[in-house]
Amino acid sequence: MLELLGAGILTVLQWKYMVPLLIGTFAGVIGGSLPGFTITLTVIVILPFTYGLDPLAGLAAMTGVYVGGSTGGLITACLIGIPGTPSAIATTFDGFPMARNGEPGRAIWLGVWASVWGGLLGALFLVFLTGPLAAIALEFGPWEYFSLFVLAMAMVAGLAESSLLKGLISTAIGLLITVIGTDPIASVPRFTFGSAFIGGGFPFLPVLIGIFAFAQIMTDIEKMGDRGGNTSGPLRATFERFSHLKINWEIFRQPFLLLWSTIVGLIIGILPAIGGSASSVMAYDQAKKFSKTPEKFGKGHPEGIIASEASNNANVSGSLMTIMAFGIPGDAVTAVMLGAMTIHGIQSGPLFVSQNPGLAYGIYGAYILAHPLMLVICWAAMPLMLRLTSVRLAVLAPVVMVLCVMGAYALNNTMQSVYVLLIFGVFGYGLVKMGFPLAPLILGLILGDQIEINLIRAIMTDDNPWLFLTRPISGGLLAAALLSVVLAVWQHLRHQKRVAEEDTDF
Amino acid sequence: MRLGRDGIAGLIGLAVALLLLPHAFGLPRLPIVPIGPGFYPALVLTFMAVTCAMLVLQDVIAQRRAPIAAPQAATEQPKRAYGLVAASFVVVAAYIALLPLIGFRIGTVLFLAVFQLVLDRPRSLRQWALLAALAVGTSAVTYVVFEKYLSVLLPRGTWTGW
Repeated sequence: MLELLGAGILTVLQWKYMVPLLIGTFAGVIGGSLPGFTITLTVIVILPFTYGLDPLAGLAAMTGVYVGGSTGGLITACLIGIPGTPSAIATTFDGFPMARNGEPGRAIWLGVWASVWGGLLGALFLVFLTGPLAAIALEFGPWEYFSLFVLAMAMVAGLAESSLLKGLISTAIGLLITVIGTDPIASVPRFTFGSAFIGGGFPFLPVLIGIFAFAQIMTDIEKMGDRGGNTSGPLRATFERFSHLKINWEIFRQPFLLLWSTIVGLIIGILPAIGGSASSVMAYDQAKKFSKTPEKFGKGHPEGIIASEASNNANVSGSLMTIMAFGIPGDAVTAVMLGAMTIHGIQSGPLFVSQNPGLAYGIYGAYILAHPLMLVICWAAMPLMLRLTSVRLAVLAPVVMVLCVMGAYALNNTMQSVYVLLIFGVFGYGLVKMGFPLAPLILGLILGDQIEINLIRAIMTDDNPWLFLTRPISGGLLAAALLSVVLAVWQHLRHQKRVAEEDTDF
Repeated sequence: MRLGRDGIAGLIGLAVALLLLPHAFGLPRLPIVPIGPGFYPALVLTFMAVTCAMLVLQDVIAQRRAPIAAPQAATEQPKRAYGLVAASFVVVAAYIALLPLIGFRIGTVLFLAVFQLVLDRPRSLRQWALLAALAVGTSAVTYVVFEKYLSVLLPRGTWTGW
């Protein structure tokens, strides 16, 4: 295994892969540091440039975006108190007070170094645990896969902030989009109504780009009424004198904090579509509970920054693990990566590592190398990044829109994908305005075909539907799905009760 | 009966599901496959119809319980530039519609210039120059990268031939 890992790292060290990885990491750090831009939008912008590349080069660029973006978010979180990405939200709690106390350099670099060490610790788990997880997944039959996908969707729908019902409807919409076109077994056209335009169904990536990018950009444009078009105010920070050695000592004198935050991030990353924001907040909460000085949290305590940043970078390794072992995207970024893999004819899932060892270990190598690269980028390009965070939305939005159009067009060099992009762009924005979460829809969109295929395979193998419940793993997964929905309902009811009690207080 | 945003969304979803369900049930069955091509869509649509109906019901109950909103609440809402969003959608739609007619190179320069103008009108000569530079520069860079480097044949205009 170590030999393969060494070969993977050596492969990525070639210019052919190193340049896309460097560009991706740089774009990720910049995209992550722009509030409202998100890592997903950055990876969507990078996507069209990867079509013509070798699969590993394309995936290395995207891995770079993911790693760089997870760190980039901390820059504005520390300097202006607005997280560049949702995954840096908990960094704001202590990073911003520390910067305001006259230590912006220490705040940012504590975060950067914690990201590096958390990410590299996460890499250990990624390299050594993906194989065993894939081996477990190999034991799965169609019943277990069906139930696993149902569990993934139930968890994501249950986590919807607005309401569980809306999360479930959003999932159903995603699934419904995948049934339009010909059916996967007998090629019978479904819901096409004789139209050639939708005869082959909707291509996944233009739908994803349309729904996600339009919803994001139009929501940002909407807010221009409030703040007049700036993604953020211009940043001017004068860093105090600080020592990188001391900062690393601050991190390593609390090895348990670093390790536990990494594990929290990793576990949240493995669970489908929960995302970096939950991992960073959860790790922050855990750090506060275990701390000897919990009263210092929220006032510029280094432990808060270390926990949040180590966890959100380890989250990336967890998401990569899920996509490589089970073929389920951990979040929207890995959903785009999954789409990119499909374009190159690569099937992710339990056989991915054993059938494509070169590619799999190349991705591990890219993930590991992205961390020192990100460190160098942050060190060399900090003044440039501070300038770029003040780019106006009026400049940014048109460029992003052109790249989205290119991303859809370059898929198969036809305008049809671009029309799909526009249709789903309007639809996605409408859904956001109606208060529907997009994550369940995206997961439904990705897993829809697989759910149907596994359902049919299971029934074709044995038409006893009770097998979904009586096979131990399948039954356990379905029970976990039900439990996840029940928990979500219980949490929602508890929240409503608390709100009602607060209302009656006065 | 008052309906809120959720109720309206639920009704739309319910209507779509109920409209498509008969179509799903009407899909031809094949003897070799134990379940027909309509089975899974029918399952999804039924699930959608049930959850949408529950959303409508939940909204109706919530609307009955909710007190009538105070008029000043509207003024507390953050200012939203919906006009700008509508204009943005029109500009993007026009760009996509015109791409096959005027081609990528001309279309993208125009789109980038117009979209920037719509979002934030330049107030100084420097900002006008930046707008023009960004429009021409972005088009040129994307053209070179995609067409020359990535071998993507970008749309040519049927009107302009360019």
